[in-house]
Amino acid sequence: MINLTINGKAVQAPEGSTILEAARSAGIYIPTLCYDKAVEIYGACGLCVVEAEGIPKLLRSCSAKCSEGMVVNTESERVVQSRKIAMELLMSAHDGDCVAPCQLNCPARTDCQGYVGLIANGEYDAALKLIKNKIALPASIGRVCPHPCEKACRRQNVEEPINIAQLKAFAADMDLKSDSYVPEVMPATGKKVAIIGGGPAGLTAAFYLTIMGHSVTVYDMMEKMGGMLRYGIPQYRLPKEVLDKEIAIIEKTGVKLVNNVKLGVDFTIESLKAENDAVIVAVGAWKSSSMRTPGEDLEGVYGGIDFLRAVIKGNAPEIGEKVAICGGGNTAMDACRTAVRLGAKEVYVVYRRTRNEMPADKLEIDEAEEEGVIYKFLTNPLSFNGEDGKVKSITLQVMELGEPDASGRRRPVPVEGKTEEIPVDSVILAIGQKLVSDDVKELELNERGNIAADQDFFTTSIEGVFAIGDATNRGASIAIEAIGEADRCAKAVDAYLNGQALDTRVPYISKRDESTIDYSDREKKSRINPKVLPADVRNKNFDEVSLGFTEEEAKAEADRCLECGCREYYKCKLLSVAQRYDINPERFKGEMPQKYSHDENAFIERNTSKCILCGLCVRSCREVMNLSSIGLLGRGFKTDVSPAFSLPLDETNCNNCGLCVQLCPTGSLTEKFNLKKQVPLDEEYTEEFVEIDGKQSSVLVSRYNGKILRVIPNDEISRNSGLSRAELQAKLK
Amino acid sequence: MRIVIGQGSCGIAAGAEKVRKALLNTNINAEAISITGCIGMCYLEPIVDIYDDEGKLTRLVKVSENDAEAIASFVESGDASAVEKLVVSDEDSEFLSKQTRIALRNCGIINPEKIDAYVEAGGYTALKKALCDMSAEDVIEVIKTSGLAGRGGAGFPTWFKWNAARQSEGDEKYLICNADEGDPGAFMDRAVIESDPHNLIEGMLIGAYAIGAKHAVVYVRAEYPLAIKRLKNAIKQATEKGIIGENIFGSGFSCDFTIKAGAGAFVCGEETALIESLEGHRGMPRLKPPFPAQSGFWRKPSNINNVETFANVSWIINNGGEAFAAMGTEGSKGTKVFAVTGKVKRSGLVEIPMGKTLKDVIFDIGGGMKTDKPFKAVQMGGPSGGCIPAELIDTVIDYKALGATGAIMGSGGMVVMDESTCMVGMAKFFLDFTAKESCGKCIHCRIGTKRMLEMLERITKGEGKEGDIELLEELCYSIKDGALCGLGQTAPNPVLTTIKYFRDEYEAHIKEKRCPAGECSDLIEYKIVADKCKGCTLCARNCPVNAISGTVKNPHVINTEKCIKCGKCYTSCKFGAIVKE
Repeated sequence: MINLTINGKAVQAPEGSTILEAARSAGIYIPTLCYDKAVEIYGACGLCVVEAEGIPKLLRSCSAKCSEGMVVNTESERVVQSRKIAMELLMSAHDGDCVAPCQLNCPARTDCQGYVGLIANGEYDAALKLIKNKIALPASIGRVCPHPCEKACRRQNVEEPINIAQLKAFAADMDLKSDSYVPEVMPATGKKVAIIGGGPAGLTAAFYLTIMGHSVTVYDMMEKMGGMLRYGIPQYRLPKEVLDKEIAIIEKTGVKLVNNVKLGVDFTIESLKAENDAVIVAVGAWKSSSMRTPGEDLEGVYGGIDFLRAVIKGNAPEIGEKVAICGGGNTAMDACRTAVRLGAKEVYVVYRRTRNEMPADKLEIDEAEEEGVIYKFLTNPLSFNGEDGKVKSITLQVMELGEPDASGRRRPVPVEGKTEEIPVDSVILAIGQKLVSDDVKELELNERGNIAADQDFFTTSIEGVFAIGDATNRGASIAIEAIGEADRCAKAVDAYLNGQALDTRVPYISKRDESTIDYSDREKKSRINPKVLPADVRNKNFDEVSLGFTEEEAKAEADRCLECGCREYYKCKLLSVAQRYDINPERFKGEMPQKYSHDENAFIERNTSKCILCGLCVRSCREVMNLSSIGLLGRGFKTDVSPAFSLPLDETNCNNCGLCVQLCPTGSLTEKFNLKKQVPLDEEYTEEFVEIDGKQSSVLVSRYNGKILRVIPNDEISRNSGLSRAELQAKLK
Repeated sequence: MRIVIGQGSCGIAAGAEKVRKALLNTNINAEAISITGCIGMCYLEPIVDIYDDEGKLTRLVKVSENDAEAIASFVESGDASAVEKLVVSDEDSEFLSKQTRIALRNCGIINPEKIDAYVEAGGYTALKKALCDMSAEDVIEVIKTSGLAGRGGAGFPTWFKWNAARQSEGDEKYLICNADEGDPGAFMDRAVIESDPHNLIEGMLIGAYAIGAKHAVVYVRAEYPLAIKRLKNAIKQATEKGIIGENIFGSGFSCDFTIKAGAGAFVCGEETALIESLEGHRGMPRLKPPFPAQSGFWRKPSNINNVETFANVSWIINNGGEAFAAMGTEGSKGTKVFAVTGKVKRSGLVEIPMGKTLKDVIFDIGGGMKTDKPFKAVQMGGPSGGCIPAELIDTVIDYKALGATGAIMGSGGMVVMDESTCMVGMAKFFLDFTAKESCGKCIHCRIGTKRMLEMLERITKGEGKEGDIELLEELCYSIKDGALCGLGQTAPNPVLTTIKYFRDEYEAHIKEKRCPAGECSDLIEYKIVADKCKGCTLCARNCPVNAISGTVKNPHVINTEKCIKCGKCYTSCKFGAIVKE
């Protein structure tokens, strides 16, 4: 045995061991991407470098042998710098998306491609479970979310984005129709968490913390849970029965829900803190913003969310026949469409820019118009004019579009001297909402009057008190933003309860340069929207407008997905090494070595633009299988892995043993799933045995949600058996 | 009377073969006409040496086939006036007289295609001495005394490698000659093989005897067809004479000899990549250790030296290690051959003792600059080396002293630059070479050199940004540290040394979008100075894109939008009326 020291730890290694072997046997991590015991040492990736005292050069630990008394450092500054640059260089030439843009653009990082793909395969149950990893109220959110995911969807470069939000609602509705999925709750930790506010943020945090085994109570000032989902979204968009069912599922996990209690009246943050191990403040923003326009205090002028809440609670105010709604967002749409349903004859939407700049969802804008809403674009209220204290008309300043502002939208500027007056019976100001600051005076606020919370750790000025959602930092936003924060906050609180601080920032991932993607080979297929109630029916009642997807529609729509994200995301060794180092490959942005390519046979798919040239495929094919079906082609930056004479794999002597795929550290070589639509899934691998010609042979079986996705030969017998994947699967017991 | 025509590749390219044929058509006795290899005076090719019966030499330079009759008349009459204008000047003769030739001692003198010529010049006596009078250990000891170090670039002590291979267990060993000379601007190894192939064979056989190898292999790039032809011929002749084969000189020592033509990948000059290539694999370096001395060709103990190293061996055996060690400095012994090219007046092969200075080579022997522009820097060691600026011209030729500048001794490429050379452009040129020649195996070299090249391309286009120099340096040091083989580890040297000595030039490109040397076409504009333009129309006629307009005898004007900055007008103008800005 040889005695050496690695990172200050005394290690013994058998004679002839490499430093890598010695370190691994001692449980010390050294990254590698081109090393595998099955093949000869290669030394290409250079990630396994270490420093040894008295040796000026960095050593590649995969090949450098241990010697007696050697003092090795596997994490010195020089070593880390070398690995970091290697990874930055490697990723600068890795043309691949780890995850799809839809998922990246979702504030909650919902695995959109995953559930869309599962729906396309008819795996609704698995789709719902996947959604519930991130969204506790998917049937509700699927209906109301302005879906940033769809804005990033690449399918719009072919024709239109995938209808991701409606697919989510579809999967969730399927679940609500049958035995609803209630996730398994981990063993009780004995820790208590109080959450103030039962809106989407509070309920989400409660759901995930409860699943983690903590004892959670949600306190809410309203009669029922749901927050803005209940009291800010009209019934025709989100039937409260749906919300009720989803909240009931959350409650089934063991969350305690307490209503009709108000912060500052029934309890304080400090009092909750005293009784709990952690507190999350998720009180939301419940006050309508002012426009600071003369006449706002007249009778008949209502705040947007105040108006919606009153209607939902059954206390709809008298709005008369002529109603003007000021604002262009989704609250404005909710208000105008509610006004129509309440029987108003003339409903105006006053918006200072044009239709194109409206922040509201396009479908909402169109549907409102179908229902009779009149848009007053390029107008801005100058004053609300009243008689006897009641509003009678609005004076509008006529606007025009000027130069683009910081947001890229053209700035509206007044047309000097041009005004217009419209008679109204009531006005609804839907221009935003704010936190009632007094409620949270125990906490430090920022200059906007919102709770100052750390954006990555969610901590506040009081230790053990966390804050999320509309009440914090930049103020009110869309529900999915608050849900994303709640999900991450739950993890941060869980860590806190374990005495740790968790940074919830998303680690590095690889993204393709959008400008280089070619869609010319894609067949055009129109986006499918669920059917809706006819305008002249729906504008008279509060029935849900959307009829939801049928199964056929949902499958067909989901099938349009371009499958942007990498199928090997969950087991990508390249990504796991990249995320260990604080890398910024942008520094070395430049030409990509290979064009994005696609070559496949019945089992294997190849995409050389993701290849990192570790050589494991080429070497294993030559050294282990003795086939040399693939080799290295070209030199330098343009070096490429290719079958001989650049033939398709099926025209070579490749026997589809799959060893190359098994060893590929990234998604350059992938084994297809046993699914019609390919989806990146976090499969579970097990080694199992089959009988081939009377001999026991090992195969790797991957399963997801109980379904077998891949059966991969795992020893000499199965690799050389010539059996197809389906035949191997048939042999499984 | 003997007429000897210099017929190395360079001489032939300059027209030596035509001269030979023309001379054969004169009344000179064909028997008297013979060939030799390369004397190393590239700038004077073709060269014809005429020895009279007393052996007195008259050297004629820049000879063309049209001079054949004049030469014939001189040969017949002995009257030199007929060839007066061809006789080499005293000044040019100094190019050779100031050199000390060991490795090149027979080059350009003997007939490389005749073994007898080599034997006459004392050839194969060292081999006989080694095989018959010395033990292998004695040979290694002499080499150790001589201080001979590997001339391929790294400068590793030759005896040490030989001894390691000798000590390695196994009766199957290989002695390999690396003749994959690939540095741009280096051609000394080609010259040795073309001009004195038996010297290489003799050196290799002595080496094979020393390490106990029964097989000698020369890995030579396929782009050297003449070298391969002459070496094959030499092997055949030596085999016929029993110098290669079984029981050489009755000593009991046997060795066979083969040639492998490499397909021209620069990286195959790296010893482990060379071995991979010899074995029929893709030329990519192997990890060291194990070193070739332990596990090399076919995983057998192998020793690899380059051509110039072997070319010194027979001289050392004949003259003793001490004689060789008497030349040079404390740490660098013997002589070194340099291929001097670029903006220098006399370009060619220069062999001088270690310890001389760069100034001795470039100015004393090389004659200084070709043009009136001052000397700026010299690139040593090709793409693996670095540039040494004018202020360090007194640097001594010594492994350590050259290394201290950031450059290397290298295989002996010496590219001389004057003030018209852009140092960023120079670094870019070498990076372009290494990036293309990278085998693609390790990350640092494959992607790192490409990214460095992209940055240099941006800088020379005027698209550099603040922080680029620091990023380049960071990348350089990381590549040096992380690359798998010598190619990658040394690739950053041209960049690092140009940043070290010419940082202001990088900054001018980045901050002022200006190329001080006026070489980066994206950063310059050609203009005609109206006062100086005589309206000769030459520039307009030379312009490939018709960007110059004007009438005869009136000042012309360049349309800068059309101009492709090829510089043809600039070089063709006889009045200095065209300027770069």
